[in-house]
Amino acid sequence: MTLTAERTRPPDARRRGRPTSGGRETLLLMLPALVPVLVFSVGPLLYGMYLAFTDARSGRNAETSFVGLANFGDLLTDGDFWASFRIGLIWAVSVTVLQFTASLGLALLLNENLRFRGFARVLALVPWAMPPVVIGLMWRLVYHPNAGILNSVLQDLGLLGHNVDWLNDFSLALPAVIVVGVWTGMPQTTVVLLAGLQGIPGELYEAGQMDGASAWRRFWNITLPQLRPVIVTITSLDFVWNINQFGLVYVLTQGGPGGQTRLPLLFAYEEAFRYGFFGYAATLGLAMVIVVLAVLGLYIGRQMREAS
Amino acid sequence: MRTRTALAVAAAAVVALTAGCASGGDTGGSGGTGGGTAAEPVSLKFLSLAWQKESIAANKEIVGEWNKANPNIKVEYVQGSWDNVNDQLVTSFEAGDPPDVIHDDSPALAGFASRGYLMDLTGKLPAELTSDIPKDAWDTVTFGDGKGGQGVYGVPFLRESQVIIANKKLLDAAKVRVPTPDAPWTWDEFADISKKLTKDGSYGVAWPLKSPVNRVLNLGLNFGGTFFQTDGTKSTVKVGPEEREVLQRIHDQLYKDKSADPSALGMGAADPLPGFYAGKYALLPAGVYLRQQVAEQAPDGFEWVTLPPLKGTSSNQGALSQTLSVSADSKHPDEAAKFIAYFLNSANQAKLAKGDWLLPTSVKAASDPSMTTKDNGWDVATASAQNLVVAPYLKVNGFDEWKSKVATPALQQYFANKTTLDQLATTLVDEGNKVLERYGK
Repeated sequence: MTLTAERTRPPDARRRGRPTSGGRETLLLMLPALVPVLVFSVGPLLYGMYLAFTDARSGRNAETSFVGLANFGDLLTDGDFWASFRIGLIWAVSVTVLQFTASLGLALLLNENLRFRGFARVLALVPWAMPPVVIGLMWRLVYHPNAGILNSVLQDLGLLGHNVDWLNDFSLALPAVIVVGVWTGMPQTTVVLLAGLQGIPGELYEAGQMDGASAWRRFWNITLPQLRPVIVTITSLDFVWNINQFGLVYVLTQGGPGGQTRLPLLFAYEEAFRYGFFGYAATLGLAMVIVVLAVLGLYIGRQMREAS
Repeated sequence: MRTRTALAVAAAAVVALTAGCASGGDTGGSGGTGGGTAAEPVSLKFLSLAWQKESIAANKEIVGEWNKANPNIKVEYVQGSWDNVNDQLVTSFEAGDPPDVIHDDSPALAGFASRGYLMDLTGKLPAELTSDIPKDAWDTVTFGDGKGGQGVYGVPFLRESQVIIANKKLLDAAKVRVPTPDAPWTWDEFADISKKLTKDGSYGVAWPLKSPVNRVLNLGLNFGGTFFQTDGTKSTVKVGPEEREVLQRIHDQLYKDKSADPSALGMGAADPLPGFYAGKYALLPAGVYLRQQVAEQAPDGFEWVTLPPLKGTSSNQGALSQTLSVSADSKHPDEAAKFIAYFLNSANQAKLAKGDWLLPTSVKAASDPSMTTKDNGWDVATASAQNLVVAPYLKVNGFDEWKSKVATPALQQYFANKTTLDQLATTLVDEGNKVLERYGK
């Protein structure tokens, strides 16, 4: 989409970058767009950052005072947070990697000249059309220990002797949730990769074929390098989306059993709205911003260095 | 890449601020027109958590009768759910727009009361109601107000006790003594009988322990296990010999006697029922409310009885109550209190208890013939109310966090035989005290 457009037609994409003139008028024209951003995004963000340095708690008689870095100190020694952070990393990395692999396969398939290609492309988009809560409810039914389709199919196939309570088993819950995460995120990854694939000039493949390159070599030496910017972008975006995932897992397990699927944001949510420690929850939020920025900075920084 | 939490917190706070201003203005206004409130119709929002069909019907019926009799105080029935009521309430309290009358349970009230969200009902309720409910029930709703005082933050109306639902044919076949409220089984007897009832393929008992904390803590009192000690306002966890009794005994049934089905461990309270009907387990420890499902779903010809609570050093059990409270932000607190007084009069309590298959707190309601009939074990269930005492954990600030972060996973692992009793005790105490420390500040 725009990602590929930028690569194939650089002059078009640059057209917007006009030299700035008449600063005041520009500002005036930008104002209608800026106000909502400032009021609804920047303001709350700054307020959230401020909260992170206070001991704000819920309650009508709660008094808030500035505590400096105390919350960050608590955070560093909070074993529960680190456990949840570890789960968050396992979740984000495995979902992103699996999502990417599966989507790449699907995109390559959909890029071929198959029969019913249009129909298959539409089908691949279906999970995208559903809100996370609906997806969560649907998969909860799939995983249901007694009435779920997964257990009955596996038992009919003779792969399973007894019903498994997927979402309440200490060791199965996280993998089960990861599968749902991969399923949910595949459409956007697939679509972006597919767009990238279609932007690769056919001549490259023809040339490769002339030189006797095998299908695998063509994939490795033409497709992957050509797709690289798209891959970097979508993977880093996926990682950010995944580590910030909330709704899906909240509906599926609420972080259970025993915290085995308690992603960092679920942890922060519980701190704020269940136990009422707003200040500490804001600190958790801020810590997540820092982590995400660090990951992105590494990724994008490397990308830019290579580009220049 | 802003985090949602920071945003959500900030948003909630902003809403709270604006709402705070708004309600501040309103209070001034209603003070000015205070004389007019009697004539002007007011409307109250009533958040109900009833979920069983009969119970929802009973709730709506009582609200309907009230609205007919009091056209000036209109009550709007709002359906809530136990699954997310506390999150919902925290956000609506912070936003300044909570329901006027709130249905919840006593463990939740402790936290809300100390944060000043709920109105102290002392002196707001008619003597008729206050004298109809025994003192130990009122104790389950009396909490600190977070500023050093004490108050009554709800009206307790439904209580749950733990009984045992048994397959009558299997009991008869094994020729065991059928206990009565006056001569209940002791835990030792229970263990022996469970062994006797265990045959190949079927177990004596099923312990559904998906949410083990409240059940274990309530039963812990059978041996005087309180799990908490409170010194002033600060609570600490204790797991001594008294606390270990019930933990050890359930564990023994699972792994030493092998008279309890280990596959029932991950189940919620109602999940073992299909197996119970099929004769897979003879005894099913359960809350009294589960009788409803058994009565309605059991296959034809299935005979079952309700057995009274077990006895350790006593038959005491920790009790929670379902409650009705008035939010501190309510603009019509007196009308709300009046509605509660009507909603929970003895006749209505009997209706509600019947609808939910729980025990009424009202003494008069408990003597209602429908509460003492032998049908569906009501006599045994109602008699078990005498064993209910205030659960000590009710008064522990931070119990909810201790329960979900420390106790639930630790107990699940212990009952899954992944940790020993000593390890469990260390976790509950050490990690638990760390959690509670935050609340003692």
